[in-house]
Amino acid sequence: MTQPARPAEGAPGLLSSAGRVFDLSLGQMLWSRRSVFLGVLLGGPVLLASALRIAATLYASGLKINGVQAGGSAIFGMMIWLLYLRFIVPVLGVFYGTSLIADEVDDKTITYLFTRPIPRSAVLLGKYFAYLVCTVLLVLPSVMLVFFLVVPTGQGAIAGAFPSLVADLGMLAIGLAAYGAVFALVGTTLRRPLVLGLVFAFGWEPAVLLFPGYLKRLTVAYYLQALVRHEMPQDSAVSMLMQVFREVPTVSTSLLCLAVIVGLTLWLAGRAVEEREYVLEQ
Amino acid sequence: MPIHDQGYRRYGGDKTRGGTGWIVITRAGIRTFFAKRAFLGLLLVSWFPFFVRAVQIYAATNLPQAAFLAPTPETFRQFLDQQQIFVFFVTVYVGAGLIANDRRANALQIYLSKPLTRAEYVFGKLAILMAFLALVTWLPAIVLLIVQISFAGNFTFFKNNIFLFPAITVFSFVQVTMVATAMLALSSLSKSSRYVGILYAAVIFFTQAIYGVLYAVTRSTSLSWISFSANLSQIGDVIFRQPLKYDTPWPVSLMMIAGLIVISGVILERRVRGVEVVA
Amino acid sequence: MTAGDLVTAEHLSKWYGQVIGLNDVSVTVPAGITGLLGPNGAGKSTLMKLVTGQLKPSKGSLTVLGEPIWRNPALYRRIGFCPEQDAFYDRMTGLEWVTALVRLNGATDALAGAMAGRALEMVELTDAAHKKIGAYSKGMRQRVKMAQALAHDPDLLILDEPLAGMDPIARRKTIRMIKDWGRAGKGVIVSSHILHEIESMTANILLINQGRILAEGNVHQIRDLIDEHPHTVHVRADQTRALAREFLGHDDVLSLKFEEGAVVVQTGRPDAFYTRLTDLAASGEHGAIHEVTSPDDNLQAVFQYLVKS
Repeated sequence: MTQPARPAEGAPGLLSSAGRVFDLSLGQMLWSRRSVFLGVLLGGPVLLASALRIAATLYASGLKINGVQAGGSAIFGMMIWLLYLRFIVPVLGVFYGTSLIADEVDDKTITYLFTRPIPRSAVLLGKYFAYLVCTVLLVLPSVMLVFFLVVPTGQGAIAGAFPSLVADLGMLAIGLAAYGAVFALVGTTLRRPLVLGLVFAFGWEPAVLLFPGYLKRLTVAYYLQALVRHEMPQDSAVSMLMQVFREVPTVSTSLLCLAVIVGLTLWLAGRAVEEREYVLEQ
Repeated sequence: MPIHDQGYRRYGGDKTRGGTGWIVITRAGIRTFFAKRAFLGLLLVSWFPFFVRAVQIYAATNLPQAAFLAPTPETFRQFLDQQQIFVFFVTVYVGAGLIANDRRANALQIYLSKPLTRAEYVFGKLAILMAFLALVTWLPAIVLLIVQISFAGNFTFFKNNIFLFPAITVFSFVQVTMVATAMLALSSLSKSSRYVGILYAAVIFFTQAIYGVLYAVTRSTSLSWISFSANLSQIGDVIFRQPLKYDTPWPVSLMMIAGLIVISGVILERRVRGVEVVA
Repeated sequence: MTAGDLVTAEHLSKWYGQVIGLNDVSVTVPAGITGLLGPNGAGKSTLMKLVTGQLKPSKGSLTVLGEPIWRNPALYRRIGFCPEQDAFYDRMTGLEWVTALVRLNGATDALAGAMAGRALEMVELTDAAHKKIGAYSKGMRQRVKMAQALAHDPDLLILDEPLAGMDPIARRKTIRMIKDWGRAGKGVIVSSHILHEIESMTANILLINQGRILAEGNVHQIRDLIDEHPHTVHVRADQTRALAREFLGHDDVLSLKFEEGAVVVQTGRPDAFYTRLTDLAASGEHGAIHEVTSPDDNLQAVFQYLVKS
C-alpha cells in the first residue's frame, strides 16, 4: 500500500490557518444561493437608480427633495442612508454573520474543519474574512452603479462627487466589518441567533437612536453614521426625531470604537467557538 | 404456506377523521412553541404595550386630571400599529421553520404519506402561525376593549363605537392572514429557517426602504403600494375609519395584499409536495 | 495503560442535559485495529465524538495517543477521522475538497495536492477526482470521506460506520485497506452496528450498549467471559427425540427445541454438556450424531448474549 507523505511538523498558526479556511470558504460563499439572492436584492437600488435616471431625463425640471430641486449627489446620499446604511448593511451582517459557523453545523461539514490541527477560532476568523470579501464584492458594485446612474442627474458632476463615493465605499466596508463581527458573536453564542440578530438590527438600534443619552453608544449605527458625509434624510417622523437627538462623534472616535467593536466581538466569538460543543442533528 | 406481499401498500383503512388532520399538526405545533421559554418570553414582552394601554385607560376613567388620555377608536388603531413589531418577531420565530424544517428533515414525505392532504398540511401549519399572531394582535386588542368597559363601568364607549369589535377582528384577520401566508410560502422555498427569516425581513424592510427613497424624492405618498407595511396601514385606517396616511387608493392597497396572499398560495401549491420532481 | 495504547478513558461520562450518552466508562483501546460495536443509540457516536474531541467529557478523563484531546488541535495532526454523516461541499471536486482539507493540516499547496491525489488513489477514486462530489454515488462519497481521513498519514484512523452505502466490492476493498493500515502499524478504531463487518476486520472488539461498555478484548476472550450465560448448541443426529430425552435428565439443560433433523439445546454449563455429548457420541447409544455446532462462536451471538443480560 502506498502511503501518502506526511506534512512537515508544526501546525499552522492562527492567521495562517484562518487564511487556509478563507481559501476554502470564499468560493463556497460567493457562489452560494444566498449570495445570488442577495445579488438580486442589491439589484433593487440599481433598478431604482435607473428609474430615477430615466425620470430625470424625461422631465427636464429634474428631481426634487422636499420640493427643492435636488442634485444627483443629494439623491445618492439619501440612497446611501436609507437603502445601504439602514437596511442592506445590517441585513448582510445578520444573514452572513449569524451563519458563519451555523451553516457548517447545519450542513454537518463542521466536523471536517474541527478535526484539523488548527484552532477552532481560526475557522471562525477565516470564515469572517471570507464573509467580508464576499459582501464587499456584492455591495460595492451595486453602490458604484447607483452612483454613476444617479449623480449625473440635476447637473451633478461625477468628478466632484467621486471622493465622496470613495468615502462611502470605505464606510460601507467598515459597516459590513462591524455588523459581521457583532452578528458572528450572536451566531456563535446563541442556538437561535436570527431573532436576536433581527431584534438588534431592526429593533434595538433604530429605537435607542431616538433617545438622548448614552444608550445609543451601545449600537454600531451610532458610530457608523458619524462616518457618513451625506446629510441625514428626513423621510419620516422617526427620521426627524432621530435628527433632533443626533449626536455625532468625531470620525477618529468612531473609527476607534468600531475597531474595538470588531476586535472585541470577534475575540468573544472565537472564545465561544473554542468552548462550545457542537452536537450535530442525526 | 402462504407468502404475503411485503412491498409497500397504500393505506386502505377508513379515513374517519377526514378533513381534520390539520388539527393534529396545529396542536403539536402550538405545544412545541409553548414549551420554549424564549418564545414565552417573547409573548410576554409583546403584551407589554397592552399593560401600558390598560394603565392609560384606568387613569382616564378614574382620574379627572387624566381625562385627556381617554381612549378613542384611534387608540385601538394605534395599539394594533404598535403591535406590528411583535407581529414581525413572532412571525420570524414561529413561521420561518414551519415548512423549512420539515423539508430539511424530509418529513414532508412522511406527513403526506399519511391520510392527510396537502391542503390540510398547509392549513395546519398556517393555523399555528395564525394562532400565535392572533395572540399578539386580536386578543390583546379585544381584551383592551373589555378592560375599557370594566374600568368605565358602563357600555357607553362600546356602544358609541360598536364598529370597534368587528374592526379589530377584520383588521387582525387581514394582517395575520397576509403575514402568515407570506411567511409560510417563504418557508416552503428553503430548507434553512435562518434563510427564510432573513428573506422575510428583507421583503418587509426592503419594500419599505424603497418606498422611503421614492417618497423622499417625489414627496408623494401615492407610491406607498410598493411597501407591504404601508398597504396594511392603509387598510387599517380604512377599517378603523381613520384619515388615510397615503395617497394610494385603498382598493389598490387591498389588491396588493390580496395579490401577496394569492402568490403565496401559488408558491405553497407548487412547493408542498411529497416528492419533488426536478426537471 | 501501556505506551502504545490508542485511547484511555477513565470514568468517562457524557450527558446531554438530562440524557446520558455515556455512563462511567473506563476502557483502554490498544494499538492495532479495534472494532466498536453497539446497536443504534448505544453511545457509539458519543464515544466517537469524545475520542475525536468534538465533545467535552462531562466527567472523567480521556486521552488519545497519550494526550487529552479536548481543545488540543495539535493532536489532530496524528488523527484522521471519517465521520458517519454524508455531508460534503458538493460543489467542489473530490480532489479540491481533499486538497483543501489537507492544507488545513499545514501542508503546502503542492504537497497537499500530491497527498490528496495519493489518498484518492488509495480509495480508487483517481478517475473521479475531478468530478464534483455532488455527482458522486453513495459509495464514492463514502470513499472520498475515507480519503480525507487518511490523506495526511495519521497514526490513528477513526472510522465511524465506514462501510455504510458501499457496494460489496468496494466494501471488500475497504476492509482490506483497513487491515493493511493496521498491519502497517497504524491504529484504527472502527465503529459499526453490523457485526460481521467488524468481524471481518478484527478480533479485537469493544461492545457498547446503553452508554456502558459491555465487554472489551478479543472476541474469544469475551466468549469465555460470558460462559455463565445460556449457550446454544445445535446437534444434528439420527434420533433427535431420544437425545432430547437424555438431555432433559440433566439440570444444566435449560431448554430444547426441534429443528429438521436436529435438536437445539440451551445449556447453562457448556463444559459439562460437551463432555456428556462426547460420551454419547462415542457410545452410539442414541444413534449417530452427525454434527455439533454452536452459533455462539459467531460475534452476533456474543453480542446478543451480552445485550440480553
